[in-house]
Amino acid sequence: MLAISLVAAQTAKAAPAGEPIKIGGSLPLTGVASEQGRWVKAGYEWWAEDINSRGGLLGRPVKLIIYDDESSAEKAVSYYERAITVDKVDLVFGGYPGTSNVALMPVMEKYQKVFVGQGGHGKSFEQGFTYTFASPPLMGEWSGISIAGIYDDLIPKENWPKTAAILTMNNVIGISATPNIVKAFQDRGVNVAVNEIYNIPLSDATPLVSKAKGRGAEFLIIQGFFDDTVMIMRAAKAQRYAPKLIWDIIGSRVPAWFKEMGADGDYVLANNWFPAGLPYPGNDKILEGTKKKLNTSFPPDYFAIGYCWMYTLEQGIKVAGSLDNTKIRDALRSRPFDLPFGKGVKFDSRGLPPPFNFTVQTRAGKNEIIWPKQVAQAKLEYPRPGWGK
Amino acid sequence: MERATKPGRVSRFRPRGLIGMSYILESIISGLLLGLIYALLSVGFGLTWGTMKILNIAHAVFAVLGAFLAYWIFVKVKLDPILSLPFLAALMFLIGAVVYKLAVRPVTRAKDVVMASMVATFGVATVVENLMSYFWRPDPRVLKPVYSGSSLFIGDISISVGPLIGCAISLCSIALIYWFLHRTYTGKGVQATWQNPTGAALAGINPERVSLITFGLSIASAGAAGVAMAMVYAFYPAVQSVWTLFVFLVTIVGGVGSVIGSALAGLLIGFIIGVSAAFLPFVWTNVILFALLLIVLLFKPEGLFAT
Repeated sequence: MLAISLVAAQTAKAAPAGEPIKIGGSLPLTGVASEQGRWVKAGYEWWAEDINSRGGLLGRPVKLIIYDDESSAEKAVSYYERAITVDKVDLVFGGYPGTSNVALMPVMEKYQKVFVGQGGHGKSFEQGFTYTFASPPLMGEWSGISIAGIYDDLIPKENWPKTAAILTMNNVIGISATPNIVKAFQDRGVNVAVNEIYNIPLSDATPLVSKAKGRGAEFLIIQGFFDDTVMIMRAAKAQRYAPKLIWDIIGSRVPAWFKEMGADGDYVLANNWFPAGLPYPGNDKILEGTKKKLNTSFPPDYFAIGYCWMYTLEQGIKVAGSLDNTKIRDALRSRPFDLPFGKGVKFDSRGLPPPFNFTVQTRAGKNEIIWPKQVAQAKLEYPRPGWGK
Repeated sequence: MERATKPGRVSRFRPRGLIGMSYILESIISGLLLGLIYALLSVGFGLTWGTMKILNIAHAVFAVLGAFLAYWIFVKVKLDPILSLPFLAALMFLIGAVVYKLAVRPVTRAKDVVMASMVATFGVATVVENLMSYFWRPDPRVLKPVYSGSSLFIGDISISVGPLIGCAISLCSIALIYWFLHRTYTGKGVQATWQNPTGAALAGINPERVSLITFGLSIASAGAAGVAMAMVYAFYPAVQSVWTLFVFLVTIVGGVGSVIGSALAGLLIGFIIGVSAAFLPFVWTNVILFALLLIVLLFKPEGLFAT
């Protein structure tokens, strides 16, 4: 499936002129990652509308060519190659999720296209690719920073959860995060009593939850997509298993979580690389887009992250003053940038910013930053109130 | 407590004492409940494949449609999915009849009915999935009647009410299908047509009507299965491809065309899920299930319980 959006320039500012700049690629608009993918698409489309209303990119209008890769890495590669070789796009946008990006990073190197998005996960950045930039990355390997922050800064040591259970989906997203989460626990003397990997689709959450409950895990880590996280939460509620903390990697960060889970979805922690409301450039535009396009008071995470990725590409193009992808790549490496998730962000030779993490907690239909303390919007609710409270 | 695992390593859980035993029983019961739900999801698929030679790729999409309809009625009218089920099954039967007339009947005259029906029903699946995405958006949904987050406790063993009700829906529906096929005049006519189409036609049974009833029954059972699945899983239009996997698994293991075969295959698969989850790292569950599928295909390709 193909969606093309050519966003008309607004007349309030200097209207963009000339041949549209084509930016293409694919996103998972159907399939297992579609709930995140469609919000990334909305973020891209809002960026395109926004840049056109601001006079365009290098004075030219922007046109997006978005294919639906059905959450398949193989199809993502095909569609990106099609965008580059058949549609002759000037630029590509970042793909989603990391599983697709692992396959896409060498393709971008082959065609010398700057690829600004989340990138793959840790190891994919160690292979010498030079055209990929993660801004922000959704780097599973950095999840341990969130766990360490919760323990060290937010909970008095005498009240620390002493036993943890980690339930991880069997893909690069989950697997890459686990070792550093385990290390963060072990460094603090926390017993990882359950460390299970499950295949997706998850057939049955009951045995996993029974195991965590039976082992007395006070901290439950869920590293799954929306469907399996919902199943695990349902099983936990049904078994009256109420750990002191529940932390998840993806499931609670999509709007459907709040709509479908209601109060059962509250007080769940999640790590994040871009929560809304940070005091950095570009946030105002994300909030504006949320109001104008989504009619909600709070930006969905993947909408904001999609905007961040395009905003970073935009900054690189502005510095390069050209659509030459090699010049854009060099420009992104040349200096620090003020971006929606941080000021003075400098990309290293791998295309990564220095490791960082934010932690949010769900409550009353939105995610609020609880760590780091400098940008916190709310205090950690600890222990998590029991089901129905 | 056991020693913490090394980073990235899977713990080897060995059940011990009371907690271990209750954990094993919970896993097995939960697996069996799910297995029976998978059985209902597959029974209609096996019927149309085994008897009409129609390989209905769209079967699971109608289960998802059933789940969406139950969800929609529950949200809009506040009618519990159990109460709306009879109405929903009747509606799904009618939808099945229309799909039969429009998309399936024409391919029954093809040289290779199985292949032609695969192509035709793939088209149906695409259309229905896209219609659902258009009308209900592709967002995931969670069916949450009041009992969905509760459990029955027998000693230390908890049994989630959601899957239990899903299983009850499944058992009742399978029993009804079995009763219809074996105890009613129309059902016997359906069976007669499968066994000897020419003889049945000579005896005055209308094969066209029989095919329509069989296909409608299959889609009605898919709709009911969708409600049962929604008691356990989140759902969205594209999840039909995942549910199709379960359908094929049960049908190939159980054998096509047998109601009891599907039920037994569902139970077997559920038992394997439960036992493997209890004694092995969870990641092995799917490996074992698909190894079973391979073994069946190699040594008893007609299915373990084929009649």
